[in-house]
Amino acid sequence: MKKNEGSITSVVIATGISSVVAQLITIREFLAQLHGNEFVIALILFNWLVLGGVGTLMARLALRGYWKASIKRLAWMSVLLSCLPSIQILAVRWFRDVFFIHGVSVGFYQTLFYIFLTIAPYTLIIGFVLPYSLFVIRNLNPACSGIRIYLADNLGDIAGGALFSFFLVYFVSPMTALLLSNLPLLVFAYLLFPASGRSRIGILSGCGLALLILFSGVFLETASLSPREGELAFYGESRYGRIEVLRDRDQFTLLRDGRPVFSSHNFSMAEEIIHYPLSQIENAGHILLISAESGMMEELEKYKPAIVDYVELDPQITEIQFRFNLLKPFPGLNIIHKDGRAYLKETDTSYDAVIINFTEPDTFQINRFFTDEFFSMVKRRIRPQGIFSFSMEGFENYLSESQRRKLSCVYNTASEYFSHVTLLPGQRVIFLCTDSPVMTDIPQRLYQKGIQTDYISSFYYGNLTEERIIKLNELMDPAVPVNTDGSPRLIRLMFSEWFEKFAASPVGFIAVFSMLGLIYLFRIKREEFVLFTTGCMTMGSEILVIFAFQIFFGYVYFQIGLIITVFLAGLFPGAWQGHRLRQKGKGVLLFTDCLLIIFMAAFIMSILFIGDHLPIAFFFIFGALVSFACGFQFPAALHLRKDDNPAATRAFSADLIGAACGILVSSVFLIPYFGLVWTAVILMAIKIMSLIAVAAGNE
Amino acid sequence: MNKITRRQFLYCSAALFSASAIPAWAARPSGAKPGNEYGKEDVSGRVFRGDAPEKPWKWSHEGLFYDKLKNDRVICGVCPNRCNLAPGDRSVCRSKVNIGGTLYTLTYGNPCAVHLDPVEKKPLFHFKPRSKAFSIATTGCNLRCLNCQNWEISQVRPEDVRYSELFPKEAVEAAKGVSAESIAYTYSEPVTFFEYMIGTARIAKEEGIYNLLISNGYINREPLLELCRVVDGANVNLKSFSDSIYRKLNGGRLQPVLETFRTMHEKGIHFEITNLVVPGYADDQEMVKRMCEWIVESLGPDHPLHFLRFFPKYKLNRLPPTPLSTLTRFRELALSGGIRYVYLGNVPDNEGNNTYCHNCHKMLVERKGYLIPEYNLTGNRCKFCNTVIPGVWDEGGPGPV
Repeated sequence: MKKNEGSITSVVIATGISSVVAQLITIREFLAQLHGNEFVIALILFNWLVLGGVGTLMARLALRGYWKASIKRLAWMSVLLSCLPSIQILAVRWFRDVFFIHGVSVGFYQTLFYIFLTIAPYTLIIGFVLPYSLFVIRNLNPACSGIRIYLADNLGDIAGGALFSFFLVYFVSPMTALLLSNLPLLVFAYLLFPASGRSRIGILSGCGLALLILFSGVFLETASLSPREGELAFYGESRYGRIEVLRDRDQFTLLRDGRPVFSSHNFSMAEEIIHYPLSQIENAGHILLISAESGMMEELEKYKPAIVDYVELDPQITEIQFRFNLLKPFPGLNIIHKDGRAYLKETDTSYDAVIINFTEPDTFQINRFFTDEFFSMVKRRIRPQGIFSFSMEGFENYLSESQRRKLSCVYNTASEYFSHVTLLPGQRVIFLCTDSPVMTDIPQRLYQKGIQTDYISSFYYGNLTEERIIKLNELMDPAVPVNTDGSPRLIRLMFSEWFEKFAASPVGFIAVFSMLGLIYLFRIKREEFVLFTTGCMTMGSEILVIFAFQIFFGYVYFQIGLIITVFLAGLFPGAWQGHRLRQKGKGVLLFTDCLLIIFMAAFIMSILFIGDHLPIAFFFIFGALVSFACGFQFPAALHLRKDDNPAATRAFSADLIGAACGILVSSVFLIPYFGLVWTAVILMAIKIMSLIAVAAGNE
Repeated sequence: MNKITRRQFLYCSAALFSASAIPAWAARPSGAKPGNEYGKEDVSGRVFRGDAPEKPWKWSHEGLFYDKLKNDRVICGVCPNRCNLAPGDRSVCRSKVNIGGTLYTLTYGNPCAVHLDPVEKKPLFHFKPRSKAFSIATTGCNLRCLNCQNWEISQVRPEDVRYSELFPKEAVEAAKGVSAESIAYTYSEPVTFFEYMIGTARIAKEEGIYNLLISNGYINREPLLELCRVVDGANVNLKSFSDSIYRKLNGGRLQPVLETFRTMHEKGIHFEITNLVVPGYADDQEMVKRMCEWIVESLGPDHPLHFLRFFPKYKLNRLPPTPLSTLTRFRELALSGGIRYVYLGNVPDNEGNNTYCHNCHKMLVERKGYLIPEYNLTGNRCKFCNTVIPGVWDEGGPGPV
């Protein structure tokens, strides 16, 4: 009997490993297939947790005798779980073109429902399995505490997070990572089956099939990514996301997270981005280029600069650019693999020109290059007659209101540091920021400098008429507030534009979400409310850390596994200690609620007063402490609810549903609309409500 | 068996709701909302029920081609969508509304985009080179192209944008004021502001200003014939030569567009054809071959054809740009198929931008973007072999570079 209990615990730990790796790989897959921003991360985690919560509630059916808990059933479910992540990733890739038109981006609702549908089978079972394992153990040993499963699950989660963050993300492809992380589960599931029995062949066939699926995933890895246009010349998963190079006849296109970034044979953009700013200055001796695209180096070289510092975060990107001749090296080119903002903060070099070449700032990672704080950094590093330039999405003939607000927001932010900010309506809207007047007759300036161009010299006078330039600059609205790190207004505007583009509104979603949330909140007990708010605050804090990390350090895609692991790491020791002190019941709840409020207050103070001087370790320690408090609280809450089977399922689901709400509300609503600090204050207020509820109630 | 409790009932209801309602919503055609798309295979627009304003505004005008039906319903006859509108409804293009049983256009004298462009930008390569076109557009479009480059005005209502007041007479005055030789009805879809366009074009014609139609060609024959009386040149977009691609990427049908070409050809209008080569959709060599054969058979060899390079835009932003070699190959294919003037667009500094005489093959017009460094036509004839070159040319050569 003891042996069986141990086997079940092993399966739970292996399930934890598998589920965390599956979650992280699924996040990366959706970022590549849909849209690589933080809202998508939030929607994935939201769906994951809600479906997990529903799965957990469904486990109660087992208690009612609909699907009686048995070791054999648990073993079969675990076999199924071991191969589902691979099927899930392949489904995400294949169904994209089944559900959506090939090549289109998708809107908020399509994203939400596509995620929901593709992850539902796996997450419902994952949610189901946890309490079901407890019921199976309790069939063997009725005295077994629910916290044992909670601890085992946490241990697996931490191991999975660490395995992904420290090994898998560096060395293997997604499908290989799924193979490696699911093998332990498959082995433990196999060992869970009774040693003898007539169904041995069936068990072996089932496990063999699961193994076959796992290996097939590895072999189908590249085939499942093959494009319809041309051929895949390169595929790689860097620490920061997916990189693909598409070859279509003689053209190479670089795709990052599924979106074409630039391709060969398109020099017009390179001309605009380089010559519009550099034509303004007399001496282009020392240039800083943050991120580059095809053809830019050739254009830069025409100015014969002494040094060009080219900063690119992802070393694999530069390697690919040079390998496929998308960029050409030249004397004086100095490649720096670092986050552009971190580089600018540390360097003492002064530049004649700083040119930033990013896609639209629709992620927090890119938004940090369009904030007040960043512009102030740039200003400090630019020589008196120098120029700073960046671009945003262009428009053909009419500037929409949403885009006008976006451009105005950035215009007003830049105007705080530069006395002359001029927008040129090229293929992208190019911002020229200097302390000298901007000369908009670019072809004339280039002619004076003796610089030849193909596109500008032939198309400028038709595309960028004086009338178009004046109209655009006159449309800038000084009333639009500036964009800051702490209050990323631009992200909110991008989010609104996303809805506008797809003629959608978030109102329907908010209404359904609020209604279901209220029904749930009215039905739960006080202890469950505490767990709900703790889940909400913990995941809200995790999102806060992800966003703050993105703002201050700019490479969350690399560190997201680590952040998630840290937020899991505290749960296990917390629950361990909490289990020892669970008899103190209400006192523990009060104590942990107070702790969480204090941690959040400390976080707010640190962000307010130290900001981007905070070390990375601060965020990790904060995450570990919050999760410790969360884990500490769970056994006490469970104990107060008598720790029987229905109480366990309700407690698990309260935690998951609270976490889902925390993620969604924080990332989609609170942070874009209220900024980091106010989001933290609101999360703290929610926890204060829970504290009052506990203090006011009887044990 | 135990009775189900109220709480269990609620949980089950919530679970059922999540499990059934949400996937059902997801699986619905991606545009159950009025006015959006039907679904994956056909992104056609739909009528906006109850979206019309209560009464006409200053920039309204009674529609020109429509029929009154029973119960105050009207049917718009300008484009093949033939929107059947009950009182209070708005058309697919968002410009026409039924107010009290009368069809009104809401885009009469309120352009939201007004610019002065080189005629080459339209693109029109055989129409008064180096001349300027006073270009106007109101909101609206009868298609739903996923790669629309003017979606900010084509996919919104007239009430939702900034606009200037420029009634037909004033528009013509404004064009004269900036010395434009032509007025181009362009950017969004001029068929949707048909009444405004034809009103302006009639006055312009009287004033000696040319009228240019830059359109998707999704128009019915009757209004088109009316338009042919006043239009001097046109660029019509043949988005692909496949009805299914038309439905999937554009929300329209191929046949009405082909009919437009036939009608314009029959009426002797100078028009040029553009074809955007979208990778994975419109880059099929066999389809392009069939398209060229149809052009030669139905329209003759003289209408210039422009193959445009695709760049990721609007919703269709996960495709790579068209490779240059694909465009070059299509140009060769079209030339060898008998089309005499084939150009490449969105490709700077390429020989596909120049005009070569179809008889002696010498360069007639060298184009560097919107600049014309070399011009070898005398009137409408090749300077080298005296062959007549189709198009509308200046007798004394084009204006200054």
